[in-house]
Amino acid sequence: MVCSEYRYRRPRTAEEKLRRSEAFLAEAQILSRVGSFSWLVETDEIRWSEQLYRIFEFELGLPVTLDLIGSRVHPEDLPLMSDMIEKAHRGVSDFACEHRLLMPDHSVKYLHLIARGSRDNQGRKEYIGAIQDVTQRRLSEEALGRARSELAKVARVTSLGVLTASIAHEVNQPLSGIVTNASTCLRMLSADPPNVDGARETARRTIRDGNRASDVITRLRTLYSKKDLVSESMDLNEAAREVTSLSLGDLQRNRVILRHELAEDLPPVSGDRVQLQQVILNLVRNASDAMSAVDDRPRELLIRTERDEGDRVRLSVKDAGAGFKPEATERLFEAFYTTKSDGMGIGLSIGRSIIEAHHGRLWATANHGPEGAFGATFSFSIPSRRESVADVEAPANQTDPATGAAA
Amino acid sequence: MTSTQERIAIHRSLVAVVDDDESVRESLPDLLKEFGFATSTFSSAEVFLASDCLHETRCLILDVGMPGMTGPELQQELIRRRQNIPIIFITADRDKTICARLLEQGAVGCLFKPFSDTALLEALNAALRVS
Repeated sequence: MVCSEYRYRRPRTAEEKLRRSEAFLAEAQILSRVGSFSWLVETDEIRWSEQLYRIFEFELGLPVTLDLIGSRVHPEDLPLMSDMIEKAHRGVSDFACEHRLLMPDHSVKYLHLIARGSRDNQGRKEYIGAIQDVTQRRLSEEALGRARSELAKVARVTSLGVLTASIAHEVNQPLSGIVTNASTCLRMLSADPPNVDGARETARRTIRDGNRASDVITRLRTLYSKKDLVSESMDLNEAAREVTSLSLGDLQRNRVILRHELAEDLPPVSGDRVQLQQVILNLVRNASDAMSAVDDRPRELLIRTERDEGDRVRLSVKDAGAGFKPEATERLFEAFYTTKSDGMGIGLSIGRSIIEAHHGRLWATANHGPEGAFGATFSFSIPSRRESVADVEAPANQTDPATGAAA
Repeated sequence: MTSTQERIAIHRSLVAVVDDDESVRESLPDLLKEFGFATSTFSSAEVFLASDCLHETRCLILDVGMPGMTGPELQQELIRRRQNIPIIFITADRDKTICARLLEQGAVGCLFKPFSDTALLEALNAALRVS
């Protein structure tokens, strides 16, 4: 009894085992996005695993031919495919390649194929291989590449030396004309007899070169103007963290103690990430520079984000530096106003135009507090994402229905 | 060469200005004339090399950064051609290391734009002493 039952169950267990192993394999293929195939080169008999049908998005059981495969292969990769087939016929034993599929919905899949050549039991050349759908990996690699180039862009701006050098070059050219013209003008006027006509001409050129210098700044400001804004939903906390991690080296060198107070419930804002990060970076650098001569107190730099009134988000950068006199408050944002010996005085001016292009404002306050009145706080406040969307529906410069004039 | 032209060549030494920036090409010649020099301006190193002025130039005021042949490249080319023209470099980039290198290569002066008339005159006097 026991024995017969044993005999009876044994084959069933083997079949079960096989089924289970097949199920395992199928599951593994789904999980790993790998399909397998075999290809008899002489007769072009191709067999696919279920997962391969899923990857190619063909109906299960559809007879697979090279033509059918070709209909899915990305047109740009078809030469690759025919090259591969040709090599297979010539008898190159193993091959691997990466190619794309163009799906009916125009999406693109990236596949990695590896195949090994062998002979079947009748001695015919056969390839057995696996195809992995690596679309996810490729897409994340691409996203990584994009993030990296964006970071590189930020890093380029980070090297403010490069930026100021190129601006200095642009501005020094017309300045050179101004100084030379003015010198010539003075010499012509002090000649005996004075060359008034010549002086008049050089004075005119002085004015023109002055305007040229100011055009350079205008061009620079339009670089950051509204029309160039790439608007995306972004988290200011994350943007601030990225900027501080980029400047950590500089901050440490300057013995700055960095503190974050980032609001946890901060709503996203809508804006150009790179530009807003430039503003934050500029504020952080200014704050750090402002403390470079401070030795009698900690060089503390505080970055704070918070919800602001009217559905806005505020970011402030507080330093413990020399601060500024109240009468200088507005001048701080003027182009070429600087308190640094090696500064250009354009960072805050550009920063303000960026923030204004984001429907926000950028301002400075002198610090007051129980710990003393050291340093300054620079803040900007921009609408959160929800308000910005409403903004698009109802533009800010609406016309006043009563007067027909711009509000 | 007539005797009048000879006198001009000696008393009003020719100072050539090579700069791609128009405001420099417009403003410098007037100042140089005020100093008493004859001048000629060129928008690129190539144009200067191709001109007849090459052999008459007593001093060259040369911009460092120019599209095409740069100032330092023109300096090397003149050395190669054994054209011993004293050079005063002018540059909008405040890079002291480049200046030091150019002076090492034989330049008489290196002025950062914008430069004063007195600084220019000093450099010119030094250049003409050399030549």
